[in-house]
Amino acid sequence: MGKRHGTGWERSPAPGDVDPERTLVCWCPAWAVSTARRADPSLAQVPVAVVERGARGQVVCAVSSEARAEGITIGIRRREAEARGAGLVVVDRDPAAEARVFETVARAMEPITPAVVLERPGVLSFSTRGPARYFGGDEQLAGRVVDAAGEAGASDARVGIADGTFAARLATRAAGPERVLVVAPGTTAAFLAPWPVAVLGQTFGDRPDDGAAFADLLTRLGLRTLGDLAALPAPAVLGRFGLDGARAHRLAGGSSEHSTPPASPPPDLVETCELDPPATRVDEAAFAAKTLADHLIERLDVLGLACDRVVVEAETEHGERHARCWRHEGGLTAAALVARVRWQLDAWLVHPNGARSECDHQLGGLTLLRLAPDRVVPAAMRQLGFWGGDAAAHDRAARVLARLQGMLGHESVATAIVGGGRAPSERIRWVPWGEPRDEACPGPAPWPGAIPGPAPARVLGEPVPAELLDERGEAVCVSGRGDASAAPTMLHCAALPGGGGVVVGWAGPWPHDLRWWDHLRRRRRALWQLVVRGDVHDTGDDGGVACLVAVEGGRAALEAVYD
Amino acid sequence: MGVTRPRRDEGARVRLREVAGRVQPLTLAQERLLPVAEPLRELLPGGGLRRGTVVSVEGTGATGATSLAFTLAAAATETGEWAAAVALSDTLGMEAASEVGVALERFPVVRHVPPDRWATVVAALLDGITLVVAEVPRRVRAGDVRRLTARARERDAVLVALPPPGATWAGDAALRITSEGGTWTGATHDGGPVTGRALRVRVGGRGEAARHRVGALARTG
Repeated sequence: MGKRHGTGWERSPAPGDVDPERTLVCWCPAWAVSTARRADPSLAQVPVAVVERGARGQVVCAVSSEARAEGITIGIRRREAEARGAGLVVVDRDPAAEARVFETVARAMEPITPAVVLERPGVLSFSTRGPARYFGGDEQLAGRVVDAAGEAGASDARVGIADGTFAARLATRAAGPERVLVVAPGTTAAFLAPWPVAVLGQTFGDRPDDGAAFADLLTRLGLRTLGDLAALPAPAVLGRFGLDGARAHRLAGGSSEHSTPPASPPPDLVETCELDPPATRVDEAAFAAKTLADHLIERLDVLGLACDRVVVEAETEHGERHARCWRHEGGLTAAALVARVRWQLDAWLVHPNGARSECDHQLGGLTLLRLAPDRVVPAAMRQLGFWGGDAAAHDRAARVLARLQGMLGHESVATAIVGGGRAPSERIRWVPWGEPRDEACPGPAPWPGAIPGPAPARVLGEPVPAELLDERGEAVCVSGRGDASAAPTMLHCAALPGGGGVVVGWAGPWPHDLRWWDHLRRRRRALWQLVVRGDVHDTGDDGGVACLVAVEGGRAALEAVYD
Repeated sequence: MGVTRPRRDEGARVRLREVAGRVQPLTLAQERLLPVAEPLRELLPGGGLRRGTVVSVEGTGATGATSLAFTLAAAATETGEWAAAVALSDTLGMEAASEVGVALERFPVVRHVPPDRWATVVAALLDGITLVVAEVPRRVRAGDVRRLTARARERDAVLVALPPPGATWAGDAALRITSEGGTWTGATHDGGPVTGRALRVRVGGRGEAARHRVGALARTG
């Protein structure tokens, strides 16, 4: 590897690289502090530190500039922070309030673009493709965003524009006093190269410890900057550091986080829940949201997909619709999704503290809640199925089946589960594709009257009327005790080849007294298994046709054919 | 200094080539076969289904064609691959499929397919699924038949065509399996249920399969 140093960012393009979307990120530094100051105006100009309860006790997660000047940094403990700064005010973190107040900033962006994506309270992003052209360039767009954020109360918001969210996020950090940094298209790799690898830690989403450990490992191996990492060949990085490493390598080189371009999700992959009575309190709605989120993640799992952006939609009593898109670094988990939905509900349902009163009207209760994945990518690192299933084959099949479901309807693609029952048609349950196959019920419960022997290969969903006759040409009946009036000798049915024929073998009848405890739905019937030989069978078939015929209320019907 | 360096002379290379020829996979990816279970295996050329081909399973009605198609689907799901079925009506007996060895969780069925979208559905399934059992409508356009054959070849999938009773697959098929029925065992007048039948099967087709083979399978249902 001769080119490790020097022009480090000239990396070999890997086949799986995807060009990232040009993205604007707007970052309000120390948003937790801003939120706290809005709630309590007396905190302005005072050193403030916001603490969060974590595994190590109470740890500082945001500091005001005054507090930073006193040497208080993020990550130190509460007691240590208090020791360093004499007049320090320590506030507990309130993520719901942060989201609530940030919603006003997100709303202020709506005149600029409809596609605002919230990353977390304090950070939002959107694709610049449309807005930049409309406003006459990236610089103009960035200026507007700064102004809009300032009007919404985030006077210290910074804006970065680059290829991809990761680079744009770093651009906000690099933005100087003018608070705007635009990385020219195509120079993102060069912009990223000098950054220390520690910045990769933030891309690990819910696993900051893993991120820190990974960055630490790279540093100890002598890879100090993103340019050093990007200069390595992609297969070597994948082999040594696994999928997380490959992702970090792609990001460091200025390409997209995902190795495949994100796709729009299957259309019916939307979880909806109607709230009746309408939810006016956050915890009511959040309870419903939890179920929705679990379902959604489960269904994505079954399809072998991961989702990094989800649209949270709500309808109110007054018929208003609200929607907000949330993105989460490193793929949404159920817990992360629930947290975001909760924040968003908070933002909608609770009057934002300190927001301008004229822009906000009191919402009614929520009547409907919907979670729709906005972008999906094939989930990497899927485990092989226990039954030796091949993940790639599964993914391929899942894509095809989801497409067909979009074309023909959700119910039309299904897998079968063999369950309990007497007649063959009762023993099959269809599970629409994508829903969990719950095979718990089949059980070895005895089914008196079940037909022994092999199962018929054709089971008629709607039985075809037939005539089952005895020697004298009269219809064969079955008494309430299950006794046949006579042995069957002839069967006529339009659905049989040759229209039926002479009965050469029979078994039964098996009387079924179904739901005898229910007067309205009780059914009494008897099943015959017959082997019929056509009188004029042109094929010379001597074996005959085996079939199942049900006799119910004096009428016979063909139920199944052994084909 | 007992280090022996690998010999690079011509003789060694020839021997190496010979060994390489012996240890290389017997079948290329193109010729991959889906091995079929025992009774039917002896009748099929190569003992399995060649990927990228069309197999037509025909019968005159209730002569065992559906069971045979399930047996072929089981060949795919048993190796961990996926199979799917296209049902025009809703009459496929899935319990019978499960009895011949089809893993139902890897055997989705597209039900109530309207005949005018049949070709689209089958083509879509061939894109991502190894073996597709398709009930064929009475009328199929010749163009659709050609396209589906090409799609199966291109995607390395197997299309098992199941024409309506008495009809045949209008297109070219690498294998034509005709199920001719057989005598049911166990079916008597004294009330014993059927236990199975000896199915007579005729295998024909192109290439190796052109020589017709006839065999009997002890199959059930």
